[in-house]
Amino acid sequence: MSKSIFELVDQLPTGGTTIMALNALDFVIPGQWQNLTGFTNTIRAVTGESDEAMIQAIGERAVYLYNDEGEGYQRAMWLYQTVDNAAGALGMAAMANKIGQDISFLGFLDNLTPKPEKVQSIDLCIKLVVELVAYCQINGIPGDSVGDFLAALGDYGGESLMRMVALICFDGLIPLGPGFIGKGLGTLNNMTPNDLEKNDTFKSVSTLIPGNNSGDKLGFIGQSFDSVSGWMTGFVDQKGLTQENVLGNLQKFVKISEDKLDYVGAFLDISVKYYTHTGTQTLARRLIERAVAEL
Amino acid sequence: MTKLDWRIDWRKGVMAVVLCCTLAIAGCQTKAPSQFDQVQKDSTARNATPAVAKKATKGSEFNKFFPKGEDDYERVYTQEKKGFAEAKLKKDGKEVALLAVSDTRSLPAAAAKFANAKASIAGYPSVDLGTTQTSVLVNDRYQVKVISKAPSFDKEDRTEWIEKFDLAGLSKLK
Repeated sequence: MSKSIFELVDQLPTGGTTIMALNALDFVIPGQWQNLTGFTNTIRAVTGESDEAMIQAIGERAVYLYNDEGEGYQRAMWLYQTVDNAAGALGMAAMANKIGQDISFLGFLDNLTPKPEKVQSIDLCIKLVVELVAYCQINGIPGDSVGDFLAALGDYGGESLMRMVALICFDGLIPLGPGFIGKGLGTLNNMTPNDLEKNDTFKSVSTLIPGNNSGDKLGFIGQSFDSVSGWMTGFVDQKGLTQENVLGNLQKFVKISEDKLDYVGAFLDISVKYYTHTGTQTLARRLIERAVAEL
Repeated sequence: MTKLDWRIDWRKGVMAVVLCCTLAIAGCQTKAPSQFDQVQKDSTARNATPAVAKKATKGSEFNKFFPKGEDDYERVYTQEKKGFAEAKLKKDGKEVALLAVSDTRSLPAAAAKFANAKASIAGYPSVDLGTTQTSVLVNDRYQVKVISKAPSFDKEDRTEWIEKFDLAGLSKLK
């Protein structure tokens, strides 16, 4: 049986590799991401509410909303979890012989297979599309125009913004370098629907990507990445993000060897479940906001 | 294998089984009861009432009744779901309030709180919840709510922004 929303939020970790990796990105958006865990904690933080009866009522409405399958919240959760698992599976297959919590992974680098650049680029694009699709499942398509939608997307903050920062840093800059946007677009332009169908990450989430067939879905992925690439380029420029400073900050938390960048990407795929973690936080926040507004 | 070895091995096997059982039982018992267990049960029961009424008005129908941004205020739509639409109000780039319209067909209790409302805004019954929320009920059905998200945005501001909604237009929505 799948977990309830309050269990998922109650069970969010307060430490571990995912949290360390996300804290390592604090330099990009200082103080904007707080690792909010615990369901009633989140209600209090999001609403400022301290009345216990009100907290109970808000929580109950949020639970009801999450459990109404027609509302799409469970689909969004499934997307966040599935894309993390798919990314992890690739790395796991390569390190089947190694078991351990050791975050100093120099020891098992030899067992990690770095993903070829093309696969990494496809994964980056699919993760981005998952973000957009999950966003629409959670929020609908707000407003009456494309401009309104982009404004809503451009209004990302907190855990949603941290997810995008992690996408740019962990799935873009580190494995693909500063030209990651160009590589993503280039890979998409040269891809056939057949290529897409062979990608494990795509296979795991394809049912929820808009489009009647792989060709249509490829088109949607391409358009989505294209439309967000401007924002991403601007963000990287504005924050002065480079492979060096991202790695440098990650090194404060996780031991890394600079000549093993490809392996860093694989390690991050396996160990850092940032989509599930921040996605759960985003979903909880949105449910609670809606619950308060409806009561 | 000597008789002694066989006995030691046999004990190891039993210990392993006992350990597994203990772990399995411990695993089953780790879930602590939650204040939301009942609602989880109720909302996932076979004939549970869905959270959103089948005939709830689409959120897209509400958008046109929202006040537009003005002067230093920017309005950013954030949610549009069945029976619900919400926008953030920002002043000088910072969030100061949330504006929301919801169809109380999905949550009759939300409408019920207006039954004994003593106050009104623009002729519609109005209720405050806590110190940060003010709402009105339009046509006995649509709740328009403004929630303060900054200390500087007070009840007077909330009232002013409720009045900026096209409440008359919303009252004609079927």
